Amino acid sequence: MRRGFVRASLRLLAVQGAWNYERMTGVGIGYASEPLLEDLQVEDPARHAEAAVRSAEYFNSHPYLAGLAVGALARAEYDQVPGGQIARLRTALTSPLGSLGDQFFWAGLVPAVVGGMIVGLMAGYGWWAIGLGLLLYNAVRIATGIWALRTGLETGAQVGHAVAESWLPRSVPHIGVAAGFLVGMALPLAVVGLLDGQPSWAVLLAAGTMLVALAVGWRFSPRVTSVRFGLAVLGLTVLLAWSWP
Amino acid sequence: MPVAWSQLLGLLGWGTLVGVDLVSFPQALLSRPLIAGAGAGLLLGEPEAGFKIGLVLELFALDVLPVGAARYPDYGPGVVGAVVLASGAELSFVLGIATLYALVLATLGGWSLQWLRRVNGRTLETAAAGLAAGDAATIRSVQYRGVATDVVRSALLTALAVGLALWLRPRLPLTGRMELVSAVAVGTAVAAAAGGAIRSAGREARLRWLAAGAGLGLLMAALR
Repeated sequence: MRRGFVRASLRLLAVQGAWNYERMTGVGIGYASEPLLEDLQVEDPARHAEAAVRSAEYFNSHPYLAGLAVGALARAEYDQVPGGQIARLRTALTSPLGSLGDQFFWAGLVPAVVGGMIVGLMAGYGWWAIGLGLLLYNAVRIATGIWALRTGLETGAQVGHAVAESWLPRSVPHIGVAAGFLVGMALPLAVVGLLDGQPSWAVLLAAGTMLVALAVGWRFSPRVTSVRFGLAVLGLTVLLAWSWP
Repeated sequence: MPVAWSQLLGLLGWGTLVGVDLVSFPQALLSRPLIAGAGAGLLLGEPEAGFKIGLVLELFALDVLPVGAARYPDYGPGVVGAVVLASGAELSFVLGIATLYALVLATLGGWSLQWLRRVNGRTLETAAAGLAAGDAATIRSVQYRGVATDVVRSALLTALAVGLALWLRPRLPLTGRMELVSAVAVGTAVAAAAGGAIRSAGREARLRWLAAGAGLGLLMAALR
């Protein structure tokens, strides 16, 4: 099982490659599990065939934490855990790994790194800010992926308990605070950077638009998303600016 | 400003990469508008335009969490096209139109992701027997076809974004009046990011830190 660790880790980078509404990331999980199940093919071919079928069934989680499931499910197959119990483990992991990953990465690390990049950009560090942000983000992402697969393989059916006791849930509030702070810091700097040298009417127009957009978002979200509002307002403004005599 | 063939190929490759990065592989943050814009600006020799257009679209993107089966825009290829559209022009005139252009393509990109997911679903149907037998070759085949289809999707979206931008660029009415559109784009983008940040912050510590960060940012902006 250990032999396939590196290949499984690399395959997890494309775990959403065949994402679909029927099995969601199931096929990607099966694809990443294949190297880990190779030894089982030699040890117990009948069990391997069942395990391969199970590995590609419906699953969904945060992609960066999918290694926890891949490792735990592979370990459970080697431990001869009954198929029904493995199916229940698979179902039980879906929501927690999705929610935890969304909170840590999508709502935490991504805005924190992007906010930091914007602050760096506005402070004049251009490419350094972008490069450092990418390096930091991917270092955390890769390290988390390796930790996830290793933890899954080591703990098997006990993976839920292992995750609950790990650094990950404890770090969610901290990364959230960092994201809030860095995005908060980035916003005024972005406004100044984008409106630098513009006439005062342009600054007032931008401020007025921002207030209206915030009010509309507050009142009509989620029906009116920021993209829909942007499309409508910008389209109208282009038409006005174009056609005004 | 003419765009060389080598630059066009570079833009097509970059747009495809950032498109695939969003969902399929390797999800390394390349698909963020700020990165996609910076890369396109670098390829065109206009990093300032790349940074600024990427920044405006990044503010929109900060409002959306790409969670699970949620529908979200695919900004990358559209941002690459928007930087092409803005290249060689006065940025304060073209920023707003480029933002609108990228938003239209990002929406189209979001729809194309739904299409991709349905195509992957149809691939599953044709591979049903192999999957039911746990055939490793079938699983690999479904996986590779999924990634390959996303490469084609992203390449087509980028080709459309860049091609249309090259066609539109000499036809844009870039007068001083277009500064109106740029100001509205900045206001809308900042509202999107601020709305998203406030929603994500809830009512606890994160909200206090958001306010503290905004205060520090204001101070730094005032001291610039």
